[in-house]
Amino acid sequence: MLLIRSALVVLSGSTYNGKTVDIFIENGKVKRIGAKLKNTDNAPELTFPNLHIAPGFVDMHAYIGEPGFEQKETIASACKSAAKGGITQFCVMPNLNPVSGTKSQIEFLKHRAKGQVATLLPVGALTHNLEGKDLAEVYDIHQAGAVAFSDGYKALPNAGILERALLYTSAFDGLVMVHAEEKSMSKNGVMHEGIVSTKLGLPGIPAVAEEIAIARDLSVVEYTNGRLHFLDVSLKKTVELIKQAKKKKLNVSASCNAYNLILSHDAVVDYNSATKVNPPLREQKDIEGLIKGIEEGVIDTITSQHSPQDEECKKLEFDKADFGIIGFETLFPICNTVLNKAVGLEKIIDVLAVNPRKLLKLPAPSFEVGSTADFVLFNPSEKWTFTEKDIASKSKNTPFVGKTFTGKIYQTINE
Amino acid sequence: MSGLSQRHLIAIKDLEKSDIQLIFDTAKNFKEVLQRPIKKVPSLRDITIANLFFEDSTRTRISFELAEKRLSADTINFSASGSSVKKGETLLDTVNNILAMKVDMVVMRHSSSGAPQFLSKHIPAQIINAGDGTHEHPTQGLLDGYSVLEQFGSLKGLNYLIIGDIKHSRVAGSDIPLMLKMGAKVKVCGPPTLIPKYIEELGVSYEPNLKKALEWCDVANVLRIQLERMDTKFIPSLREYSLYYGVNRALLDSINKNITIMHPGPINRGVELDSDVADSKQSLILQQVENGVAIRMAVLYLLAGRV
Repeated sequence: MLLIRSALVVLSGSTYNGKTVDIFIENGKVKRIGAKLKNTDNAPELTFPNLHIAPGFVDMHAYIGEPGFEQKETIASACKSAAKGGITQFCVMPNLNPVSGTKSQIEFLKHRAKGQVATLLPVGALTHNLEGKDLAEVYDIHQAGAVAFSDGYKALPNAGILERALLYTSAFDGLVMVHAEEKSMSKNGVMHEGIVSTKLGLPGIPAVAEEIAIARDLSVVEYTNGRLHFLDVSLKKTVELIKQAKKKKLNVSASCNAYNLILSHDAVVDYNSATKVNPPLREQKDIEGLIKGIEEGVIDTITSQHSPQDEECKKLEFDKADFGIIGFETLFPICNTVLNKAVGLEKIIDVLAVNPRKLLKLPAPSFEVGSTADFVLFNPSEKWTFTEKDIASKSKNTPFVGKTFTGKIYQTINE
Repeated sequence: MSGLSQRHLIAIKDLEKSDIQLIFDTAKNFKEVLQRPIKKVPSLRDITIANLFFEDSTRTRISFELAEKRLSADTINFSASGSSVKKGETLLDTVNNILAMKVDMVVMRHSSSGAPQFLSKHIPAQIINAGDGTHEHPTQGLLDGYSVLEQFGSLKGLNYLIIGDIKHSRVAGSDIPLMLKMGAKVKVCGPPTLIPKYIEELGVSYEPNLKKALEWCDVANVLRIQLERMDTKFIPSLREYSLYYGVNRALLDSINKNITIMHPGPINRGVELDSDVADSKQSLILQQVENGVAIRMAVLYLLAGRV
């Protein structure tokens, strides 16, 4: 039992959108909603300054460490970290040890995540052992509860495997998610290729590596008519390619990572390995291109690409450090800081909460009586500075410590 | 004493023009010291310097060691082969272990670009970069600049050409900002696969034709072709490279100009540079080696002023 007092609802299309209401929650469902509810049941009350409420965020792209790399992140620590970021459900990429490529691995993840503060959505391996050669048993893992199929950060090596994947999964309308990168162009690259990489003497990941892969994959989608989601879109030019494909009514969707909306390759300048990410930090024009893509609906959702790495993998020479930064806790603060003026809060909630549910075929969010209490409470105008204390993840690899954001999560409701 | 604007010497990019001038002036004094019968001065007495070479080097290491000895510093040498690095120890641990023995300055060479900068954020000692990956080799840049300065009296307005593998060259990484800061014009020449795509944004021009490039320049710095640093073949063969980008006598005779030839060493004779050019009067190669010691003495001396 819980009574939330004076919360401004943000959910486009909802009858309560823009209204300040009280919400009474019992047994994980909305029992009553309306102005100035009477607390007849003596339920504990929740109230915060400038309280806003929205459906809990759904993050379609995250890595964890259990099983296999528990020193980086466990399922429990990942769930805590997600909840701290206002995320009530998150996709876990199959890049684990063992790989989430069998029914039993999917069941293990679901079982271990039971009763945690956030819901874990397992993504099954697309190819056997993520080797990019043969399909994994995708139908079986679909039956076991995998929400999508992907090789995570491992790019598919050729068009043939994508063709088979899209055709095969189309039988059950499965969602294939890819990190698009032509490895023969980018292979040893550790940052975006450009003037900064030239000055730093670091091998570059050229923009063209992403362009080629996305152009190629779009042709494969057109040929097979499967359902493809591009993770990690990071360039103005690839947003443009996806926009054209959507105009042609191809069955594609796309996401970008929050960090690509706020940092450019200039941030790498002192070889800080906390800026070593893939896709790499790009250029200002790409940041603008992504924001426009969000505005126009080309980019459907924004992900954290939460990638916990322990100190041993990051406190190293730049080229030896692993890729990735944690991102759950900073997902909404970045989105709200960068996008609030450009696209407005309602659109941010669409992108973080509504669209991913559609893509993953999860129940549509609602505040109506009887709907599931899966909400986030936040204050979109609070200015605050992100510190190490705000990190619930087991890993601390982030370039955002000390950064001031606008928009703070109070808590999630996910009973 | 008016010192350098930097605590470490990590990259030429970080230096002010006045820093470079100060290093040149100091090197000139030390070069004079090196001509004396007693070549040793007590400037760095009681200062301990660790020479950490995580990547093989002969001439740079010897040059630094000699500079340190001429300045009366205590030195310890470390090379990666046969060390705990091979046993999986991290760079930070290795260096911290050495620093625990009270070392004031670190001269380091490493195969990772940015390794000296990474260390400078985590350890208290002063760091001199003796070459990091494909980033910079600042004392080479300084000694190149100093050698040209000796020859021409000024770097301003000079046409400076770098030939070869610019993409993987830390020498080019330091020569380019140094020459530009000191007012020279810089052009690079080599097969396009060995030229960084964004080189022109540094203020450098590119000329694919070697003869045209040589006709333009006053000084040509011929880089070593380092196949060992390439994991992909960027050129079809050394033979073909030598045919189209090798600097030889016949080519130099065909242009109406007496240009100065430099090379950071070691030379692949007959590949990027022919012997009759390398050993000719046009060549500054041995002066570069000699000046290397004076430049490194100057750098050590100036940085130690702030220990």
